[in-house]
Amino acid sequence: MVAGASLLSSRRTSAAAMLRQILLQAKKHPSLIPLFIFIGAGGTGAALYLMRLAMFNPDVSWDRKNNPEPWNKLGPNDQYKFYSVNVDYSKLKKEGPEF
Amino acid sequence: MAEDIKTKIKNYKTAPFNSRFPNQNQTRNCWQNYLHFHRCEKAMTAKGGDVSACEWYHCVYKSLCPISWVSKWDDRRRAEGMFPRKI
Repeated sequence: MVAGASLLSSRRTSAAAMLRQILLQAKKHPSLIPLFIFIGAGGTGAALYLMRLAMFNPDVSWDRKNNPEPWNKLGPNDQYKFYSVNVDYSKLKKEGPEF
Repeated sequence: MAEDIKTKIKNYKTAPFNSRFPNQNQTRNCWQNYLHFHRCEKAMTAKGGDVSACEWYHCVYKSLCPISWVSKWDDRRRAEGMFPRKI
């Protein structure tokens, strides 16, 4: 109830206002701090992974006219996955002839 | 280089690992090799090069692609203006 009332009191939704809100809540209810840490880490992790997907994923093409087949930009030694179990990327070579 | 390709084609067992398609879904791998084979064929016949080197892509897409897809794409390719990519 107290948390609800103080949420309604600050209507601005900018990131700074949200952080101030979180700090005020943490001072009033310090047991909430682990919650903020985990939710913050999860949210930042999700956002960072989305950025990685948007910028580096070889299946994603933002500009279809100039970049129609972005997966072809990966060389045979490039590793996109975080951890590869069986494959030794340094040993791979380009298959198939040039044309 | 051409001899290299010919021995590779002779010793062909199955499609090798391709770093552009590292995950379980190999649809794009199949599609890419289909495109590569037909583009290679067209480019080699235009330049007067050795078309049999393109056989590598043919082997790979035959290993990967379902036969129904290949026959559908072949029909689309032959019909004018129906194929979704430039060959």
